[in-house]
Amino acid sequence: MLETATRRKKSARSKAAPHERFLEAFRWMLLTRTLEEKLVSLYRGGLITGGVYIGKGQEAVSVACGLFLQKGDIFAPLIRDQPGRSAFGEPLLDVTRTYLGSRQGPMRGRDGNIHRGRPRDNQLAMISHLGAMVSVTVGALMAKRFRGEKNFVGLSCIGEGGMQTGAFHEGMNIAAVEQVPLVVVATNNHYAYSTPNDREFACHDLVDRAIGYGFEGYTVDGIDLTNCLDVIGGAVKRARAGRPPQLVVASILRLSGHGEHDDASYVTDEIKREPFARDCLKVAEQTIVDLNLADTEALAEWRRDAAAQVDQAISAAQKEAAPEGDKEDWCAISTRDLVDSLE
Amino acid sequence: MSITYLEAIREAQAKLLRDDERVFIYGQDVGGTFGGAFKATKGLAKEFPGRVLNTPISEDSMVGTAIGAAINGMRPIVEMQFADFSSTALNQILNNAGTHYWRTNISVPITVRLPSGGTKGSGPFHSQSMESIYAHYPGLIVMTPATVEDAYTMLIEAVAIDDPVIYCEHKYLYYHLKADNLPAEGLPTGRARIAREGRDLSIVTYSAMLHEALAVAEQLVNEGFEIEVVDLRSVKPLDTNTVLASVARTGRLLCVGESFPWGGATAEIIARVTAEGFHLLDAAPQRLNAKDTPIPYHPNLWSAHRPNANEIARKARALLRE
Amino acid sequence: MPQVPIIMPQLGESIAEATIVDIKVKPGDEVVPDQEIIDVETNKAVMGVTTPCKGKIDKITVQIKETYPVGAVLGYVEASEEDAARFKKTVPEPPKGTVAMEIPGREEQAAVAARQKDGEGARRIGGLPVPATAKGAGFLSPRVRARMTELQLINADLAGIPPTGSGNRITIKDLENFLHKIEDQTAQEASAIRAGVADAMRRSWTRPLSTIGSSVNLDPVLQDRQSRDPKPGPGLYALRALALALAENPAAAAKLIGNRVVQSSSIDVGIAVEAEDGIMVPVIRAADKTSLVDLTTKYKELVDLARQRRISPDMQAGGIATVSNFGTFGMEWAPQFRCQTKRCCSGSASARKFRPGIKKKNNLFPGLKPRSH
Repeated sequence: MLETATRRKKSARSKAAPHERFLEAFRWMLLTRTLEEKLVSLYRGGLITGGVYIGKGQEAVSVACGLFLQKGDIFAPLIRDQPGRSAFGEPLLDVTRTYLGSRQGPMRGRDGNIHRGRPRDNQLAMISHLGAMVSVTVGALMAKRFRGEKNFVGLSCIGEGGMQTGAFHEGMNIAAVEQVPLVVVATNNHYAYSTPNDREFACHDLVDRAIGYGFEGYTVDGIDLTNCLDVIGGAVKRARAGRPPQLVVASILRLSGHGEHDDASYVTDEIKREPFARDCLKVAEQTIVDLNLADTEALAEWRRDAAAQVDQAISAAQKEAAPEGDKEDWCAISTRDLVDSLE
Repeated sequence: MSITYLEAIREAQAKLLRDDERVFIYGQDVGGTFGGAFKATKGLAKEFPGRVLNTPISEDSMVGTAIGAAINGMRPIVEMQFADFSSTALNQILNNAGTHYWRTNISVPITVRLPSGGTKGSGPFHSQSMESIYAHYPGLIVMTPATVEDAYTMLIEAVAIDDPVIYCEHKYLYYHLKADNLPAEGLPTGRARIAREGRDLSIVTYSAMLHEALAVAEQLVNEGFEIEVVDLRSVKPLDTNTVLASVARTGRLLCVGESFPWGGATAEIIARVTAEGFHLLDAAPQRLNAKDTPIPYHPNLWSAHRPNANEIARKARALLRE
Repeated sequence: MPQVPIIMPQLGESIAEATIVDIKVKPGDEVVPDQEIIDVETNKAVMGVTTPCKGKIDKITVQIKETYPVGAVLGYVEASEEDAARFKKTVPEPPKGTVAMEIPGREEQAAVAARQKDGEGARRIGGLPVPATAKGAGFLSPRVRARMTELQLINADLAGIPPTGSGNRITIKDLENFLHKIEDQTAQEASAIRAGVADAMRRSWTRPLSTIGSSVNLDPVLQDRQSRDPKPGPGLYALRALALALAENPAAAAKLIGNRVVQSSSIDVGIAVEAEDGIMVPVIRAADKTSLVDLTTKYKELVDLARQRRISPDMQAGGIATVSNFGTFGMEWAPQFRCQTKRCCSGSASARKFRPGIKKKNNLFPGLKPRSH
């Protein structure tokens, strides 16, 4: 009994009762957590080349980003945004193909792991230089405005680490100068690789920067799925209504290494005891149990369904051929007659 | 009626804004009544309201925004105030725009205009020629127009091309170079032009150095030499075939460029000619570039730093005597 | 039941190896997919290596505290056919070549050996002496050479072209001007033989040339000849004598190279043999050590071969002197010309009967003692 991504998307757009929205969000979180655990396992089994980056602990924030965006909106996910990507419509096969090196993946082997996207479907493909995608989102929104489109929104994800780059600063500033309907969702997961907050920024609260840019600023509890849905959903709604650019800052703890090559042994025991260090998926599940939003049978069924979808996406990708160097079209521009003839 | 190189650029942009609603111009001081540091957009903000926009001093986000807009159907022209400042946008140009098509199969039709090259007293940060840097990275087209006519037709072509174009306009030529009128069409990008036919030596060059080379050719007629001068027009793609044909005629090659000496366009030409046209060479190919130091401020130092007609003539004579 | 290997995973971008710190299973243990069975340590972290699939641990091939490279096999899981098939394709190749060499514990002996060999920098294979300066370095440009090839010109054809290039080199212009000039001069196509002969004659312009004639009384030769069967031609006597003379006076056939007179290591003498369309000059190696009897046999063979046109360029190469008998054409006198390799030529002219009464020494050659052959 496998639900397709599209069926679930439709239910997101209908006027769902809050708890239906909650359950829908939860299922995306569960699916992507299952996917990422499997990816980690494949990585440890030596079956993935290159880095694996997961968003364990960030699922509540991320799913809220993807859930409220519509077709026509611009989404610029970053490293730990799998639930957002899936909720926005990215098929699992895109993920597994990219990680497992199938030449049929969206990047066709030319880029890997989380550097994937489908620009024509408005999911931007990030580059490694953090902060660079904010201005790209701004440009995409300007294009829509130039063409007279209405009721569109852009959402760009960043971490507290990426927020310190010059590119991020310029992107925020130009977004405000251009007054585009942009929501920047910044997740402070308390570590940029091995660097804790006190070596990253000195201001009291990152959300204070919003006013400095001319943004509206909002804080959200990244552990609390309800809060995420409210705050981020609200921001997207406001953006769609034409409000100035908004910065939403969430607080969580990164519950994995920076990448799967990293065991995060530098994360202190004290920080692990902080309230923001709880696992949002477990907290959400507890909420379901406490409020009786679904029974144990349903939860088990959802788990099985997630596992089955993930397995199918992985085994399908594993069967596919890898790109071959001597069959590649080694051409970096689309205008073929301007290709520089180098032997 | 005479039109300067700078006016040709302005005319080209006016035509683009008029004919193509996807075009907009993005840069510092380009809008309002100011019309740009060099007046390349004078009057355009008024004629095309909402399409010639001032930006903050944010080269990274100027290009990032252009990329986002281009992916979504627009044809932005980014004016860098000086080529030298594009280094702060290097990441967006090289790693974002330059890789996007390769990675996602979606091309990025942005045009980045770089006012390049030195003028008297402009100093280290207002004089650079960066075509070699941009040509080195994959995914970009690099134009270096040397004439008023090419400045016009190549900019129009740049915007029409679906891939990122780095358009290196030379500041020295802005007001010094004039033409009688603008052509309707020009040679396509990727084709070099024989600016002067010759017999004894080929000088292959681009941008402002073209005019120095032509001056040298005139001078050497009196010494009994006929120098052929090739204007590359774009350094990427580089028209190897025309260069080889020229060397086939003359047997001797001198490449001249204004960028720094290590690597770069002149080295690239020589590598190709040596590899593919070794049998055409009657003497070792030579190159002449600026000195391997930052560009000096004082006019005396500046004119010694860059290749000039005297330097080129000296090098040419030595090569002719080889 | 097929075995699925447990592979050391890629644990980080620059990580090439990891050390085993804990092995959690033993052969025979049942395992499930993604079960952590081995703990490994890199310089960054301690990680768990997981089972590739469900099955039974067949063997663990590694030891605690030992270091193994990324991609190394750590053990095997006995699994179902289906599972094994899935992993066949996706198991990464262990590192080969130079990467493997650098990883300690893997092909260690070969790696050490390779390093030592490279370290012996002093013993270089080959290596050319280097000119002290570039002074005098000149060249014929690729263009000139290409044009020469096209027109089938050789270096000797360029002799006499006034050079205008640096270091007195002939430039392409010099060549083209020269060719342009000779276009107006009368010219004929030369046959291969004519060209070859003319070329040899041309080359001789650059060699020291001295022509000496000496009359010899051939009566002893003719007498000796009568007593032999088969009869050697007079030329063979000349060849043998020449060879002996050169063995005693090798300087006569030495070569001037730079300012040194270089002697040959072997007295190899060519003898002119008539072939259908010209003269061939095969070389008799170590002619001083070849008896007249053997020379006669050899000569006959060569004549036969020449008739069959089976004298190869190899057979004509390397001689330091030649003997030719132009007397058979009735000529009394002819200066010899040299090819590049031959330094000394001897020719015999037609004989004339001497008037009796003139005393002649009874030696074949002055200064030589008669020998028995």
